[in-house]
Amino acid sequence: MDISAVIDSLHPLEIKVLTTLGARPPGTALDSEQLAAAAELDPSQLSMAVEWLLAKSLIAVQTETVTPIVSLTKIGEEYYQTASPLERVLAAAREAIGTGKRLTIPDLQGQGGLDPSDVSKAVGRLKKEGAVLIIQGGCIETTGRPSPTVEILRTLLQQIHESWKELKSFTETHRQVIEDFAVKRGNAKEPFRVDERVTRSFILSTDGGGAAEQLLKQGVAEEVSQLTPDLLKDGSWRQKRFRKYTISLRPPRIGTGKKHPYREFLDTVKAKLVSMGFQEMRGVLVETEFWDMDALFMPQFHPARDIHDVYFVKKPSHATVADEPFLSRVAKVHENGAETGSTGWGYSFDIHRAKRLVLRSQGTAVSARTLAASPDIPGKYFSIARCFRYDQVDATHATDFFQVEGIVLGEDINFRMLLGLLNLFAREVAQAKEVKFLPAYFPFTEPSVELHVRHPRLGWMELGGAGLFRPEVTLPLGVTVPVIAWGLGLDRMAMVALGVHDIRELFTDNLELIRTARGLF
Amino acid sequence: MPTIIIFQDDLESLLTTDRGADRGITTAQLEEWLMLVKGELKGNNPETGELRIELQDSNRPDLWCCEGIARQIRIKQQGRLKPYSFFAEKLKSPHHLIVKPDMEQVRPYVAACTAKGYRVTEKGLAQLIQTQEKLADIFGRKRKTVSIGIYQLQNIIFPVTYELVKPDDVRFTPLGMETTMTLSEILMVHPKGLEYGPILAGNSLLPILRDAKDQPLSFPPIINSREIGEVRVGDEEFFVEVTGTDLSMVILSLNIFAANLADRGATIDPVEIHYPTDTMPGRLIKTPQDFGKPKTIQIKAIEQALGQGLSEAVVKQALESYGYSVSAEKGSVAVKLPPYRHDLMHTMDVVEDVAISRGYAEFTPVMPTQFTVGGLSVIEQMSDRSRELMVGLGFQEIISNILGSPDHYARRMRLEGTEWGRMVEVDNVMSLSFSCLRQWMLPSLLRIEAASSRAFYPHRLFEAGDVAIPDGTHELGSRTETVLGALIAHATTHFSEIHSCLDVLFYYLSKEYSLEPVQHSSFLEGRAGRVLVSGKPIGVIGEVHPEVLERWQIAMPVVALDVNLSQLATLGKGVSSSS
Repeated sequence: MDISAVIDSLHPLEIKVLTTLGARPPGTALDSEQLAAAAELDPSQLSMAVEWLLAKSLIAVQTETVTPIVSLTKIGEEYYQTASPLERVLAAAREAIGTGKRLTIPDLQGQGGLDPSDVSKAVGRLKKEGAVLIIQGGCIETTGRPSPTVEILRTLLQQIHESWKELKSFTETHRQVIEDFAVKRGNAKEPFRVDERVTRSFILSTDGGGAAEQLLKQGVAEEVSQLTPDLLKDGSWRQKRFRKYTISLRPPRIGTGKKHPYREFLDTVKAKLVSMGFQEMRGVLVETEFWDMDALFMPQFHPARDIHDVYFVKKPSHATVADEPFLSRVAKVHENGAETGSTGWGYSFDIHRAKRLVLRSQGTAVSARTLAASPDIPGKYFSIARCFRYDQVDATHATDFFQVEGIVLGEDINFRMLLGLLNLFAREVAQAKEVKFLPAYFPFTEPSVELHVRHPRLGWMELGGAGLFRPEVTLPLGVTVPVIAWGLGLDRMAMVALGVHDIRELFTDNLELIRTARGLF
Repeated sequence: MPTIIIFQDDLESLLTTDRGADRGITTAQLEEWLMLVKGELKGNNPETGELRIELQDSNRPDLWCCEGIARQIRIKQQGRLKPYSFFAEKLKSPHHLIVKPDMEQVRPYVAACTAKGYRVTEKGLAQLIQTQEKLADIFGRKRKTVSIGIYQLQNIIFPVTYELVKPDDVRFTPLGMETTMTLSEILMVHPKGLEYGPILAGNSLLPILRDAKDQPLSFPPIINSREIGEVRVGDEEFFVEVTGTDLSMVILSLNIFAANLADRGATIDPVEIHYPTDTMPGRLIKTPQDFGKPKTIQIKAIEQALGQGLSEAVVKQALESYGYSVSAEKGSVAVKLPPYRHDLMHTMDVVEDVAISRGYAEFTPVMPTQFTVGGLSVIEQMSDRSRELMVGLGFQEIISNILGSPDHYARRMRLEGTEWGRMVEVDNVMSLSFSCLRQWMLPSLLRIEAASSRAFYPHRLFEAGDVAIPDGTHELGSRTETVLGALIAHATTHFSEIHSCLDVLFYYLSKEYSLEPVQHSSFLEGRAGRVLVSGKPIGVIGEVHPEVLERWQIAMPVVALDVNLSQLATLGKGVSSSS
């Protein structure tokens, strides 16, 4: 056996036991109690160390002594608290004499806590000892003689209640009483229990002797498990040995501070957009139909403005202020195109309807407000806006979702530049080299494009939609240059990045899932 | 918008040109062609040949059918639209339809034509019905503005009249029924009467189409007569009418239907409609009718929008092969839409058709050139900084829905009827679970905590996001503000643990704050505070009330904070640096 490898693997408790035995003349056997005392260990610590050392064959059992010990049963503890049935029967008989009453066995059984078998056993014993007599009519009378058993029982209950005792520490008479009143097979209702306690004594094995010798030679170098400030302060770490760890075990888990993987994903998109020169815009959750739809040239009879497509606000139902001069201008454009060169939709625009409050249904509402607020020209803007869709919730439809949208304004903006911008998004946001541009329809852009890209991991997917804002949108809001409107659909990329297959899980309440998602992008 | 079902062999036979049939179209070829109609192939059953196609353009109802899709592709292949003869102005109409007075109060307009010589097949009939339904349902807004009827021509004696009658004066057997019913019975009993009856609500007289022998054709926009208005496979002669509230939509729908039947081989004859008073095109009008007007467009405008030089000839070729009629002049083109379209509002609509006709792939992308400086809003910067700090403090970020339930946002928080419990509520509630907007962050955090008792403790959660705070003084009735919320849950957590986090947060945000005791039903009394910055309350902090925890079924103590970042950003002098 490689003694030094054995020593490296020893626990401090094992070392204490080994060195305790090794410090004594060879062949010395110590029992558990002696060892615990000498090694300054708790009985539980000692028992652990002894079992480990036995398993490693570094110590051996020299002798094994069996000692009967006496302890109180639950019944015994009750007797200690109240009194033994014997004592209670005797007391009752004495009391009867004093008051001149007649005491029968049924009378005794009527007394609380005494059951028939207790009573008959007690009466039998007392009668045998001559402390009571059974007279005619089954009455019990005391004889005036004492009962040695009652006295002995009281003493024993007192002594053993304090702690268990070895059987052999009692006198012959006491031992007899213990035996009479001990739990036996078929008679569990007794105050005493006699158990056999095994005491072992241990000696060092040959290997153990070798290990102990070496440990004692290292002597001064006490092993410690932890480097402490005290050890560093006084330099005493130099005299210590540091127990080697089993480092192949898995570590305990800790809770970390971490961003939500979906937010982290949106953060990277945000950073990309800022790096491409886009300025952030922010909007409102509760918006007027005017900014959400009218300003975007969606006619008031448009199917997407139906009660089944947009969430309307209960109270207040309408905004208090009309956004002039924009409202009047937009109304005219809807009706007849006004000065935009358009025919308009040819219907009568409802100003009141325009003030109806809705939960923002599209991020483009944020862009519309920006157009009306004297944006920079040239200018690039984006927003990551929470929008609400009136839809049955399922694996691909959520009621709340993020829309990443924006605009680009400039004198020289045109359709080809729109395609160039989409190319840039494809490369920067989806790391895609291949793109396809498909004709698309949005109520507020013309021409309109759908951007499909070949994502390195996901294959062909739709990444977004874009177009040039219709003049019917830009002119009434005071913008005279062409404007690109774009939006990115990132949910699918985010779902793959997060390893979820259901859009609802992007907003999951499963903390374990959120904590364990790596969110690599 | 609409998704339609067509059959591949039907499409192929409609694509048959002078050059012969186009059989066995591949999916790739089909997807290429669908770009011309803004269509997306959603499903493809090779066994039945069934194709599910979604058409995006809500202003092109002519494309919501197999005939329309085929037509757009065919024009591209042939280079121009073969004109439909029945739009010719000189053509005589063999049939007449009389509109009686007072129709304008109920459903003013009607247009009609006849079609002969197309023996309708099973698939052809399915397409006719689908087109009828999509046009009436989506374009006609569930029959409100447009509805369509098709009849067996041979059973009708002309002239047909369109008039108003008393609901109990006329009876006929409607489609789907065995016995005759009066109009009021149809409205009360027939499934279509129940579904579309509300369109006619409030009218004491109802519209009816009857022939010269007083046989009812239909009760528009509700239901056709079973005797005359039921078309079966094998029928060859049809009468088609469209009624509605907008004359141009009514005529456009009829034009589409007439073109579709003509494409399938029918001969279309116009019907003369006699109105009692003047309409926009006149008192006597012949339908179908080409009501498009030429529009002159500068080539320069097209070039500027597309960013590409294009000659008159190129523009002419592109638009003609997309169905327009075009005459080119120097520097401009005069264009007119085909009669089945009515969606030219602005020059930009023509610009897009030029691009689609040429194919988007023909346009080389150009990188945007304008130099702009990117950046984040003050609120977003504040939010990002707070999020970084919370992560550093060992908190896990979460994201929640903003739209939730009053049960979560008010009842479980013990806030019903309190100032803190007011919320923006939805009027057209679909599900109570999504019927109001959160007004602070703590309920969102507790939702996760309640679902996560099995995740190992401690739990330290935060979210930064938008909330809607009702505000009667605001023009929108509410303010949208960005809020940071955080909670800690474990067996021995207490106020000072979350207070320490608040302290660190504000230290690094360089904001001075103070706490004052507050009575807030969501927190234990005496263990809750209002966070004040420059004397203004901008948040709350405290030990969450055990009854709140019980209502969420959370069996762990929770402490929490909620800070309004939007308001914080505008308040509080930065704490002067010690250096």
